[in-house]
Amino acid sequence: MGVQFKTNETFRNEFSYKNSEAAVLRFPFPFGEDKYMYSVNMEPHVKNGACPVYEHAFDVDEHYVAECRERALVLEGDPKRCRVLPHMMPAQWDTLELIMESLATDYPEHFSLTRDGSDWHWINRPLNIDQRFVFGDANTLPYEPLEYVTRQAQGDFTLQDQRDHNLYVDGGMVTCQADWSLEFDIGMSFHEWHGPVPLAHDIGVFDRALQYLLRLQYGHPVRRLNWTMTINPRMDTSPENYPDWGPDRTTVTAENVAQKVHLRVELQTLFRLPRSNAILFGVRCYLISLEDIERVEKWRKRLHRVLKSLPPELAEYKGLTRYQDLVMSRLSARDDGATLSLGIQPDQSSLTN
Amino acid sequence: MIDQGIKSRPTYDRLQIDRTGLRHLLVVDAPSYPSGSLVVEAAELEVWSVASLESEAALEAPPHQNRRSFRSVRHLLDRLGHHLKQEKMGLRLYAAGKESFLWDVYSAAQGAGMDKREVFLSHFGSLARRVHCVHCRTFNERVTTTIVCCEGCGANLFVRDHFSRRLSAFMGVKVDAEVPGDVPPAEQAYL
Repeated sequence: MGVQFKTNETFRNEFSYKNSEAAVLRFPFPFGEDKYMYSVNMEPHVKNGACPVYEHAFDVDEHYVAECRERALVLEGDPKRCRVLPHMMPAQWDTLELIMESLATDYPEHFSLTRDGSDWHWINRPLNIDQRFVFGDANTLPYEPLEYVTRQAQGDFTLQDQRDHNLYVDGGMVTCQADWSLEFDIGMSFHEWHGPVPLAHDIGVFDRALQYLLRLQYGHPVRRLNWTMTINPRMDTSPENYPDWGPDRTTVTAENVAQKVHLRVELQTLFRLPRSNAILFGVRCYLISLEDIERVEKWRKRLHRVLKSLPPELAEYKGLTRYQDLVMSRLSARDDGATLSLGIQPDQSSLTN
Repeated sequence: MIDQGIKSRPTYDRLQIDRTGLRHLLVVDAPSYPSGSLVVEAAELEVWSVASLESEAALEAPPHQNRRSFRSVRHLLDRLGHHLKQEKMGLRLYAAGKESFLWDVYSAAQGAGMDKREVFLSHFGSLARRVHCVHCRTFNERVTTTIVCCEGCGANLFVRDHFSRRLSAFMGVKVDAEVPGDVPPAEQAYL
């Protein structure tokens, strides 16, 4: 029967986005231990993992239709959120193929792809799209290949070109990002675009991550989780629109903290692409309210401990400082200090109230 | 606030002639750059500099076959772009000047197909920054303060140390986005 899509959700204005009980229980909670620090926490992106969102190459969930609509709204206001440098056209086609093949294989009730040589036929039922095109001929699609296919996918995507023993972010579709700008960063090397991240450079995280990724092989994608916090379930927390969402951070009170504050988790996946030898970087964003986290005993206690021991530089960089104390004092009331199991799984099969 | 701990900023060395080159061109945005030691290293070094027609330097500089003077940075960059399209392998390009000038030169070189090992950059003169407003994409030139009012949208921008070589500019982010009107005093940091 497939995924039941919630087609009327919004990520702006009245913020009607909500997770169903099933969506809460499958949430990729990012903390496997009571402490958090940057590390090269990459693992093979394979189906058997600690979390149901790992079951498919590209996870499609109940928010799919609403997130595609939100992306279209962002692009309508700012078309430059999707940009690819000219030499990356082969990587664009690689991406289109990978996403279409994966969605059609993993969700046959929603997507289908028929290939007859270079004549392709793509059907996207949730979005009501029926498109015939010639693979390799961009004129047969309404947008360039990366934009075409990622308008029909959840999460941001960037394309990394590999040359001179480095990776360069030479393109992307970036509309639901945690405060970084594609327009500013496009063309940068690995260490350049990570420049603003605190602490991690000093402990060698980026040196090791780059060495690891340069050796990434076709057919063996990898993943990691990253996280921050967002006020209101807002997808577009771009630096471009910081004047729009920045003031939200001052609106958190003891009364509304559980509804306003959201944990924002990125499922980051990296795929070597076959023709271009580029790397596709997927940044799939999941949002969950503090209120919903509290319905999982292990998660609310663990989040409390992680926030309590978070290095101040990280809290500052992630923009938590204005409301971190409110979150912690709320969570501390329900943390008895009991030992929690290692790993990110919720350890319960239904939610408590 | 001067060192924001951002590790990705370019660092620059003193220029030296790369002996693997067959021809050598130095471009500078100020006639006061001491190019003498480079000329000693490579007598055939060609030097392009900027000296406005009004300036004394332009009037006093003796004409010399290996030196060219341009009316403005824009004038020099346009001529350079044109020149590089006709160049052949073996050219080594050197640039000295403000950081924004260096990466404009670098872009011109890259556009002409030059490799990063054929271009050498050295900071000289003012620390003034070009600042790209991340909100409205206006470029603000010759910024010497930690906070600057954007010429495009009027936002008070904090000048982050995050530098884009492609845009040849630092990032400017609205400093009072969270609490409008809460603008700290600007410091004269990049003279």
